Amino acid sequence: MMVNATGSPDLSIKIGKIKLKNPVIVASGTFGFAEEYEDFFDLNHLGAIIPKGISLKPMVGNPSPRIFETEGGILNSIGLQNPGFEGFVKDKLPYFKKMRTHLIINFFGNTQKEYVELARRFDGTPNISGLEMNISCPNVQQCGVVFSSDPKMTYRLVCAVRKATKLTLIVKLSPNVTDISLMAKSAEDGGANAVSLVNTFRAMAINIYSRKPELGNIIGGLSGPAIKPIALRMVWEVSQRVKIPVIGMGGIMKAEDAIEFIMVGASAIQIGTANLVNPRTAIDVIDGIKKYLIQNKINRLQKLIGLF
Amino acid sequence: MPIQTKGIVAKNRKIKSLYFVIEIYCPSIVREMKPGKFIMIKISSHSNYPFLRRPFSIYKSYPQRHPEKKKRGTLLILYKVVGKGTQMMTEFKKGQKVDMIGPLGNGFTLPPLPSSANIVLIGGGVGIVSLYPLAEALGSKKLFVFIGGKTRNDILCLRDFKKLNSNIFIATEDGSQGFKGTVIDLFLSERKKFNKNEPYYLYSCGPLEMLKALAKVLKPKRFISQVSLETRMACGFGACWGCVVKTKDLKTPYQRVCKNGPVFNLEEIVWE
Repeated sequence: MMVNATGSPDLSIKIGKIKLKNPVIVASGTFGFAEEYEDFFDLNHLGAIIPKGISLKPMVGNPSPRIFETEGGILNSIGLQNPGFEGFVKDKLPYFKKMRTHLIINFFGNTQKEYVELARRFDGTPNISGLEMNISCPNVQQCGVVFSSDPKMTYRLVCAVRKATKLTLIVKLSPNVTDISLMAKSAEDGGANAVSLVNTFRAMAINIYSRKPELGNIIGGLSGPAIKPIALRMVWEVSQRVKIPVIGMGGIMKAEDAIEFIMVGASAIQIGTANLVNPRTAIDVIDGIKKYLIQNKINRLQKLIGLF
Repeated sequence: MPIQTKGIVAKNRKIKSLYFVIEIYCPSIVREMKPGKFIMIKISSHSNYPFLRRPFSIYKSYPQRHPEKKKRGTLLILYKVVGKGTQMMTEFKKGQKVDMIGPLGNGFTLPPLPSSANIVLIGGGVGIVSLYPLAEALGSKKLFVFIGGKTRNDILCLRDFKKLNSNIFIATEDGSQGFKGTVIDLFLSERKKFNKNEPYYLYSCGPLEMLKALAKVLKPKRFISQVSLETRMACGFGACWGCVVKTKDLKTPYQRVCKNGPVFNLEEIVWE
């Protein structure tokens, strides 16, 4: 890694009001509440941390088995297990107080009211740099229709949340739609500062010997390198459609993967499943991006964003 | 505190049928090792197949002051070939580097026991392996070891436990060695011989079905029991919440086997 201050390329990037020292963010659901990683590297080197998604009330999650390894990825059905807003603020948030990186909160609700309430509460909570809305949850009021699958619902939900917070607002998009760029546009129109994509792909696996699904929940979400080419295409499509920054993710295992996402239009990237396999992935990606820029005599990462 | 490090393979050999012992030099992990803790190994360093690390319990570890000088800084894993990952592991060669994380999990709780304390160990299949370092650490004179397996080929660590002067009971499901039936059936038939007025400290590790059967027959007051669970894991260090088990904890019923376990008090678990 280059330590020479003058020769070191500029990796910084702005997402809404958040100035990231580098574009590498660790993704919600794959980084616990950060403390699980403190033994492996200095967390302050990260661009930002997004802990496990938080709901208004605690959630117990899904029955086991919750994880199944597939070729080049994993299926998971954790079921958004989390301690709820109060539990998070009391037991998990204090850990982030002294950190010199950004904390972005991933949150979700069952109804628009719950989303708004959570955004309002986090807005008044110190040490938080931004919010990432997970809209891939079934809308209880509309009989389980997922917010992220309808552009009008996405628009209305983002508008309502926007009014409840001044924090930088990122909308995390689901890939389980016909046209993801349409959803991105709805989020932008609703007032989002950025969109992040992609969440996991709905998927399943069967054990032919026990003749049962491999996951307790039958269906889960697929992540890992298996989804990378599709995620990359979606980030490229969304980047054509919106003016707000796009945060790319989906199967990034190494710096080269991250650079691909940046070249198709991502201003920043998230490392997800790779954290579980190699807890130091994010640091390796930051170093790798730096090395690439130096080798190719590029002084600012921003020059690589959206080459086509 | 877990460490991610590159260990070096010292030996890797078959001991019988599907069972192998690998010896890895990794002093930084050995230094922190305690009975019941485990490690995660990346099987393939250059590819995404198999994708996730694999968890392994520790058979033996040799810290810096161990009398066997040549083995200092190494740990031994006794593993069974159960799938593609462990099959690939049998091809690890001497001198090869292995990406590993450990020690992980809570390990067994070792209460301050008098050497006269009664210790019962029950292990099914490779489950018995994690109980061996525990038996060594407990150093009790009254050690009752129940070893179970499908056939005589699945009876492990027999010689090791003999060296500890323990009372050994063997069960095989096909009757090819010792008692014919499950190790829990054998434990039940021998239980009458135990002194009713003395407490017994029981430690067990094995397949979930075996532990379930054990939980059904045990009276918690007479047997103070800890069980070590075997589950699928993704990360192994508490980040993903993929390896949970249902417990009686009201606030967080699903607890992580890798972080809150793998050792639990028997009564904590909801055996459904």
